Amino acid sequence: MLRVENLHKSFGALNVLNGITTNINAGEVVAILGPSGSGKSTFLRCLNLLEIPTQGHIFFKDIDITSPQSDILKIRETIGMVFQHFNLFPHMTVLQNITYAPMRVRNQTKAEATTIALDLLQKVGLEEKAQVYPARLSGGQKQRVAIARTLAMQPEMVLFDEPTSALDPEMVKEVLEVMRTLARSGMTMAIVTHEMGFAREVASRILFINEGQIAEDARPEQFFGNPTCDRAKIFLEKMLK
Amino acid sequence: MGFHSKNKLCMADQSAKILHRSRQTFWHRIVCFVAIGLLSSVWVLHGTTAIFAQDIPATLTMGTSADYKPFEFHDTSSGEDKIVGFDIDIANRLAQELGFKLEIKDMEFNGLIPALQSGRVDFVMAGMTPTPERQKNVDFSDIYYTSQNTIIAKKEANLTTSEALKGKIVGAQLGSLQQEVAEKIPGATVVTRNRVPDLIQEINAKRIDAAIIEEAIARPYAAVYPDLNFAVIPNKDGGYAIAFPKGSKLVAPFNQVIAKMNQDGSLDALVKKWFEDQGKPAGLGFQQIIPSIPFILGGVWVTLAFTFVSALFGFAWAIVLALCKISTLKPLRWLANAYTSIFRGTPLILQIALVYFATPQLTGYNIPAFQAGVIAFALNSGAYVSETLRAGIMAVDRGQQEAAMSLGVPYSLMMKDIILPQALRNILPALANEAINLLKDSALVSTIGAADLLRRATIVGAEKYLYFEPLIVAGVVYYVLVMLLTIATSNLEKRLQKSA
Repeated sequence: MLRVENLHKSFGALNVLNGITTNINAGEVVAILGPSGSGKSTFLRCLNLLEIPTQGHIFFKDIDITSPQSDILKIRETIGMVFQHFNLFPHMTVLQNITYAPMRVRNQTKAEATTIALDLLQKVGLEEKAQVYPARLSGGQKQRVAIARTLAMQPEMVLFDEPTSALDPEMVKEVLEVMRTLARSGMTMAIVTHEMGFAREVASRILFINEGQIAEDARPEQFFGNPTCDRAKIFLEKMLK
Repeated sequence: MGFHSKNKLCMADQSAKILHRSRQTFWHRIVCFVAIGLLSSVWVLHGTTAIFAQDIPATLTMGTSADYKPFEFHDTSSGEDKIVGFDIDIANRLAQELGFKLEIKDMEFNGLIPALQSGRVDFVMAGMTPTPERQKNVDFSDIYYTSQNTIIAKKEANLTTSEALKGKIVGAQLGSLQQEVAEKIPGATVVTRNRVPDLIQEINAKRIDAAIIEEAIARPYAAVYPDLNFAVIPNKDGGYAIAFPKGSKLVAPFNQVIAKMNQDGSLDALVKKWFEDQGKPAGLGFQQIIPSIPFILGGVWVTLAFTFVSALFGFAWAIVLALCKISTLKPLRWLANAYTSIFRGTPLILQIALVYFATPQLTGYNIPAFQAGVIAFALNSGAYVSETLRAGIMAVDRGQQEAAMSLGVPYSLMMKDIILPQALRNILPALANEAINLLKDSALVSTIGAADLLRRATIVGAEKYLYFEPLIVAGVVYYVLVMLLTIATSNLEKRLQKSA
């Protein structure tokens, strides 16, 4: 579904990504792990062009989205993204947050969009919060609304950028639960995370990124059981202590 | 006069002259053509009854400076605003005799000759003396009133002759004949004010020693302020005449009517009506302006409408500017920043004057004062608000933009629905401040004659020979308006905070 070829990204003199090449297939749940500063978030943000790569190509369903002719807005519609800090629109109710893009971008009627939104809210367990403003929600609730908002656009793939890092520990579980259900439904997902347990259980594949390159690309049981590169061993020792 | 063009709007004047000249030849042809046609037909149809009517348009606009009682001034004692006076009565007689509809345009005295040159008015009656300098720029009718200048001063100062003014500070109305008279007094320091009531007030405040004022004007002031007196300056060639644009065909018919009024004694009757029966002091203070308060309050709507429309256009313009400033295109950013720098770096009153006086000369469109004021204020306020708005947009979390982008929302929709509403909430207190400033600054449109609160207060002041009382009334009204606006915006802020 997604093919990345020799991806480079630098901010000024700082080279963050140094030639990443990989494939993500439909239905895969890819956990992207790595030490902080390794470039894993930048890699994820390149996939829907929130960061413009300095070099390399990204093909989404065989269309080169990095070419200047590509319709970036159309591509972003089909690749959803969930952020560390939720980024809900504070001046809109929960329901408005979810229905805004389907109505304005996809031209759904208000009734259509509302039906879909309420259904999604029910799936993330927040149907009673539909008319509430985001300021009244806990972090975990906000992130579940953000996931519902992304899903309302009926994306073919969802990118998660450290979705639980800004949450209090007791709220991590409810968000992971929603993500787990989503993974089981067959959604293609790429997740930057520090939740090792979750990655091991839910991911179908681990990408370990170090210094802007893929240092290891393995199935979870292999990665967590017997990582091949030394950097991954040190990383796991630290994370699993 | 003549120095009107040296004093202000020099460049606009010159370019207008160039325009004017080329237009003149064009109009000459048209006018000749039409005149020949009209002449022959009128002659045939009406014989000799239409002595001069063949060249007179149906409507003529007269320029005046209605702060010169009793020649021309605003009468507000009926609650309505009417310009009346000696000159106005003559103008009405002219309209009646020559069969045109009279429209009166009120402006500052030193704007009258530019108004003639730019075609804003067809003739000027404003107690204007035909000096050689003025005659270079405009044509004059015969003298219709012989004027005498006086020295008005505090009684105790005993300043009754030109010689006594040596070493003294002498005031005169800017752009008036009296200014030239004052400048010829040996050893006197001349200061100018825009209006005669300002000069009287300066004498009362002892900032100036004396002022040179026309006799008919000085008489009622001396009656109202018992500690003032005046002395006539002997003078041979004074007198008032009607001013026209160079080459105007109105001069001859107007002169015939003036001659007629001289013969039938109606001019003398008007002199008696306006100069000898005037100047009765009718009690001092607020009591005197009570009948005029409804007239002053009428300015509230002008002020509010002006503030509201200016704020609206200014805000729309500010959004465009702010979007340019955060644009990725360098030329747009540069243009918006240069624009802001210019409009923040020059006085608002100058921008208003430029828009009002330069627009007709550059484009031929005779822009009304209200429109000119709104344009100047919107352009100015846009510059200020765009900076505030830019800061407000920058203060919106970058995650908001990323979330909108990742949902496939186009830039324009994102700005309109996601970023700007949040930016506006951030800057609401600053916007409220701007609205209050706009409301107060709107008083500046009185300088181009828009009938707002301040203008109406000064009009009443000139009519009643009072200075402070009408201004205090206007000040109270402004304060009440600002307070209401403050309360309204703080309520709005509270409501917005609740919903967030």
